[in-house]
Amino acid sequence: MSRTLYWLQCGSCGGDSMALLSMESPDFTELLRILNIEVLWHPSLSNGSPDHHRRLLKELLSGDRPLDILCVEGAVVRGPGGTGMYNTFDANPKKDLVSGLAKRAKYVIAVGTCASFGGIGADGEIEATGLQFLKRARGGFLGAGFTSAEGHPVMNLPGCPCHYDVVGGVLTALSLGTSLPLDEYNAPLEWYGLLVHQGCVRNEYHEYRVEERDFGEKGCLFFYRGCHGPVAYGPCNKLLWNRRSSKTRIGVPCHGCTEPDFPQPYPFFRTRAIADVPLELPNGVDRAHYLAYKAMAAAAAPERLTKRKTRV
Amino acid sequence: MSKLMVNVPLNRVEGDLEIRAEIVDGRVSEAWACGTLYRGFERILVGRAALDGLVITPRICGICTTAHLTAAARALDAIAGTAPPASAVAIRNVALMAEHIQSDLRHTFLMFAADLVNPAYAGEPLFEEAMRRYEPFRGETAIETIRETKKLVELLTIVGGQWPHSSFIVPGGLVSVSSPGDLLQCRLLLRRFRQWYQSRILGCAIERWAEVRSTADLDRWLEESEAHRNGDLGFCLRFMRATGLDQIGRGTGSFLSFGSLDLPGGTAVRAPAGGGQFVPAGFLAPGGGVSEFHEEKVTEHVACSWFQDDEEARHPMRGETRPYATGQESAKYSWAKAPRYEGSPAETGPLAEALIAGNPLFSDLVRGQGPNVLVRQLARLARPAELMPAMETWLSEAAQDPTFYKTPGEITEGEGVGLIHATRGALGHWVRIEQGTISHYQIVTPTAWNASPRDGGGAPGPIEQALAGTPVRDAANPVELGHVVRSFDPCLVCTVHALQRGRSAGRVIVGAL
Repeated sequence: MSRTLYWLQCGSCGGDSMALLSMESPDFTELLRILNIEVLWHPSLSNGSPDHHRRLLKELLSGDRPLDILCVEGAVVRGPGGTGMYNTFDANPKKDLVSGLAKRAKYVIAVGTCASFGGIGADGEIEATGLQFLKRARGGFLGAGFTSAEGHPVMNLPGCPCHYDVVGGVLTALSLGTSLPLDEYNAPLEWYGLLVHQGCVRNEYHEYRVEERDFGEKGCLFFYRGCHGPVAYGPCNKLLWNRRSSKTRIGVPCHGCTEPDFPQPYPFFRTRAIADVPLELPNGVDRAHYLAYKAMAAAAAPERLTKRKTRV
Repeated sequence: MSKLMVNVPLNRVEGDLEIRAEIVDGRVSEAWACGTLYRGFERILVGRAALDGLVITPRICGICTTAHLTAAARALDAIAGTAPPASAVAIRNVALMAEHIQSDLRHTFLMFAADLVNPAYAGEPLFEEAMRRYEPFRGETAIETIRETKKLVELLTIVGGQWPHSSFIVPGGLVSVSSPGDLLQCRLLLRRFRQWYQSRILGCAIERWAEVRSTADLDRWLEESEAHRNGDLGFCLRFMRATGLDQIGRGTGSFLSFGSLDLPGGTAVRAPAGGGQFVPAGFLAPGGGVSEFHEEKVTEHVACSWFQDDEEARHPMRGETRPYATGQESAKYSWAKAPRYEGSPAETGPLAEALIAGNPLFSDLVRGQGPNVLVRQLARLARPAELMPAMETWLSEAAQDPTFYKTPGEITEGEGVGLIHATRGALGHWVRIEQGTISHYQIVTPTAWNASPRDGGGAPGPIEQALAGTPVRDAANPVELGHVVRSFDPCLVCTVHALQRGRSAGRVIVGAL
């Protein structure tokens, strides 16, 4: 029997949907076919008439038509003043659609950082929030105690955008009945249990403290350029984008876009430091030991790295 | 006389757009385009560090992400007074063009063509074939479009690390240093894509298509071979003619381009219309010639937008974003502001780009039939043919000189404007930096131009004007409205300050939820 999926966009840029189109082996349409998932509605891809869509929503909201998977992309917009009128559908706040559909779905999935934690608009006047978290605090729009029709909390798949292989992996796990252990932010450990740093081709620069001070110098971006790679959890450098590359590989510092408090309130492209050493150290590392290790590492840096000729 | 009001929440546009239309005796008498989402980006930017726009603004839009990044970087280039090195200019251009092409094809075959398989056309002789090609998730062309366009996204990840939402373009050039090997991979991907575009979409080589310079040429080209007729461009053309899409969606007849794609120093690429940019800037008044573009002539109105009233239309460098959600109780009905050029609404996008550059085919088509749905979509679908040869040259030239960045130093004070022609048309970022911090950020997007609400003088925007007069056979399935609106390829998420349904007392709202 096929599983049904409804894709809802709220306060969103559409980037998670666009990223989905990059899925490969199988691609997105093949994945749906293989897993026998019927997309009842996707805002960018479905072609039913507005009346068809209204009827569908009515059936889903009343429970007359079963909904297996609800994917929400974008933050729940609650402003101004909790009314939700900054984001409406057919003159009603879209947030009402979120709560109505979430009650009916067997699984609720927050795709991207905005749906997971509030993201870009969380500090703004639109009063954006994630489905079940607002930044690091449990609760969000649906409340800490929310569970879906089958008793699951919202599964968070952060990232700006969320990597398509994560979405594909989760749809596969749900369809095949494989359970995915979650971390403290209800994100699957499979993809959010490793650091962005792991797999970065600039790791050897990091190892010997060969650091970029300005763009395009070819070094590690952690000490001066504000890279969050060693502190942010996400699969960018394991999965890679379009199986090719990642931001840190080509020299864009990781901005920690999978983290619950993205975007940071302090400047991008600049590392906050104490005595030339980053304020935030790689997760779990002791400062005294780190200082000693980095001083020795810098002294031991081989010339092939300090006077590098490659373009990595 | 039968009169009714419909509210049509439109999908397959990027973001949230609702069209409110008054239909009298089966024709739209008046229409209102309503952006129904406000995200407040401009206000999020104020108070942040000078470079932060490079991380925040791409996230305005998941489909025009490189366009926003480019505009943000150009505003900072202007403030710093830096000119990026030739190779950086070349790769910035290639990235933007790759974003245009994947979007042009995804829009045409996943968003626009899905209306061609609307049940309203079930009686058309070409319907079955259209289903075979364009049925969502299943049609052959729809699936191939997903598969092939991602090769251009792959090119973007080689130079930019990821797509969407990278920040690889910075004032002074690029952070990334593409190696000759990387650039060769990009050329391979581009060639592969070009071969698919030629065989599947055009049914001929780009060079043959380039010989089509008039309506008569187009008819001859279509007759010339099966391959031309059955390529997706030829097929869409035949379907759109058979269903009268060349008769609807006229619009304002005024067109705007901010100009784009600076020619890098020493390049072999020549701009089709001469000048220093591959896509020239200009304004085309209805029935007139192209006049020179002056940035100071851009203003934005908020009289019908959900922002606090202002006594005058403001230039974006003096513009403000102060949301004011009045609901349905006033003249205000959209979260989009109403941008105007010399006080006039203007259409922007691939058709504007072609007409302002003096493209002979599109100039002739518009001379003959006026702007319409068909010609607007055809301009989008044919644009990749204009862009790909220049991309190839720039990828090859960039491999000759590995200088991709020239430091602009710390950016602490100044005003700058970043203007480009994005996938959907004229995009500008107006930025002021004080003491290293953003003190002013206003963004005017292509969709703000096209899906603009009425201005202070009551003049409707281009989509609103294009909808007027459109016949609607079935108000419960108003596919005609979909054609007209989608031919503008609206991207409402970009309408960063973007509506909701207005007052419609005493009128029938068809099919409200």
